[in-house]
Amino acid sequence: MMTSARRLLIALACLLVAFPYAWVVLSSFKTGDDLNEPSKVVFEPTLDNWSEIADGGVFQSAWTSLLVAAVTVGISLVVGTLGAYAISRFRTGGAATRFGILLSQLMPPAVLVVPLFLVAFDLNLRDTVIAVIASHLTFVLPVVTWFLIGFFDAVPKAYEEQAMVDGHGRFGAFRRVVLPQVRGGLVAAGIFAFVLSWNDLFYALILAGGNTTTLPVQIASYNTFRGVELGAMSAAILVSVVPVLIVSFFVQRRLVRGLSGGGLKS
Amino acid sequence: MARIELQQLVKRYGEVEAVRAVDLDVPDGEITVLVGPSGCGKTTTLRLIAGLEHATGGTIRIGERDVTALEPKHRDLAMVFQNYALYPHMSVRDNIAFGLQARKTPAAEIKRRVEHAAELLNVAQLLDRKPGALSGGQQQRVAIGRAIVREPAAFLFDEPLSNLDAKLRVSMRTEILRLQRELGATIVHVTHDQEEAMTLAHQVVVMHDGRIEQVGTPADLYRRPATERVARFIGSPEMNVLDAAEAGALGLSGDGAARVGVRPEHLRPASDVRDDRVAGRFTAHVEMIELLGANAIVTLRAGERALTSLVDSRLLPELREGEQAPFAVEQGTVVRFDGDGRTIAG
Repeated sequence: MMTSARRLLIALACLLVAFPYAWVVLSSFKTGDDLNEPSKVVFEPTLDNWSEIADGGVFQSAWTSLLVAAVTVGISLVVGTLGAYAISRFRTGGAATRFGILLSQLMPPAVLVVPLFLVAFDLNLRDTVIAVIASHLTFVLPVVTWFLIGFFDAVPKAYEEQAMVDGHGRFGAFRRVVLPQVRGGLVAAGIFAFVLSWNDLFYALILAGGNTTTLPVQIASYNTFRGVELGAMSAAILVSVVPVLIVSFFVQRRLVRGLSGGGLKS
Repeated sequence: MARIELQQLVKRYGEVEAVRAVDLDVPDGEITVLVGPSGCGKTTTLRLIAGLEHATGGTIRIGERDVTALEPKHRDLAMVFQNYALYPHMSVRDNIAFGLQARKTPAAEIKRRVEHAAELLNVAQLLDRKPGALSGGQQQRVAIGRAIVREPAAFLFDEPLSNLDAKLRVSMRTEILRLQRELGATIVHVTHDQEEAMTLAHQVVVMHDGRIEQVGTPADLYRRPATERVARFIGSPEMNVLDAAEAGALGLSGDGAARVGVRPEHLRPASDVRDDRVAGRFTAHVEMIELLGANAIVTLRAGERALTSLVDSRLLPELREGEQAPFAVEQGTVVRFDGDGRTIAG
């Protein structure tokens, strides 16, 4: 049984987390005047902000973000899976790769963005989703690979050896016996990768700030020279946040499922 | 089924030589057991036969084929791993069928063979479960079932019994023997347990430090161990090995041997050895008596030297812990070793 003190604590924590969301939800339905009174909770809701963002291309940006994130996730999973398997099984690159792969995360994006910009410019890819996807892969792929190494480590070699004696080659054993066992990890890594790409503002802003805007860039654009358009920005933020919330919910469940299980006696 | 032949097989990992010039003939339709302490090269030898390790030198033949350079899938072998390696994401049925599917066997044939194997191993009622829902013994049966449906040229068993409790291990041992007789299978079985080796094998291969120490029938190894190491390894409790001076103190003549071995079952209370059969007689201090049932392990001390004796339980009233008692070694049972640990014939 939960003690009432514990209940209270949990309720408090939920309130703390939910509060900013509630604030944004309310703001997205407020008129300009009401927005000037942040503490005003009872007001006449309006859909003006929503129609403004609909006209302002937020949904187009959301589509761009989705496209960028989906391709980034796809490439990261395919390359990351093969890379992680190689690092886990064959110690490819030695201990340096296994642990150093995350060092790329320490590099400030600002260091990378100028070279990427120049390359994109030279290849005529500036202001395209390709440039954004390439830049996202620089930080998503190492994370996905690092994340998956642990999952492959957890699959005992005996499974694939068994499969190889039973009539498969190395790749067949990998595909039929190893991959199904890291499915939970793949889903979790995919969702994680999606969120990383979906939330990026920096690369998207610099490499493709013109016609190809992603959602975070679009949101930032409501900070105009006339001031911040809070209402429209709130509505756009909701468009951006809701998919991530749904996705995060699955991360928890899949993560737990991915990390448990295994039918090997040792 | 086929015979397996290893010629001058070598496996090196960098500077470490795990398998050193091993020559071995695994006869068709028999159980050959590789046995030895951990790190002796027995598992590496098995993995070389399976193709899971590449040989550094030498050849491996299965039947008439030289398979040394072939991938595991082309060697037509089935293997049972120590941890069974049942695929957790597949049902028992799919686990057993896996190897047949990999080899594109027709579905009807797969169904027939899977059901036959399940029947044979008494796991028919478990076919639709996942491995996680099975007990250790059941997992073991499924793993063996997965091997036998393949009808391979030979079976490789890598310590498949070592995860089972003692009772189950004995019954699975019997089961393996029964299956082997039924199928006429060629089996290479690896274990570190000398008792398992003795009970299962037609042919025992004792390995040490990457080399074969001795090959022979279980009775051969017990009666005529080639080296002191084999003599100590085979038989339980372990053989008493004495240096020449200690043997002299027990009234045993070493005949110029560096060391002398006496099995615990041949060192008995003097009343249990006929007078004309006595090779040496001495008085010892009885330190401890461990009753096994029909027999008891008795720990003795003769001078400074601790000895183990295996005594018929009916003679136990003659012995009391902490007291002296007369003991004798039976004639013709003593094994003599030279300075290099090799057995002196005769």
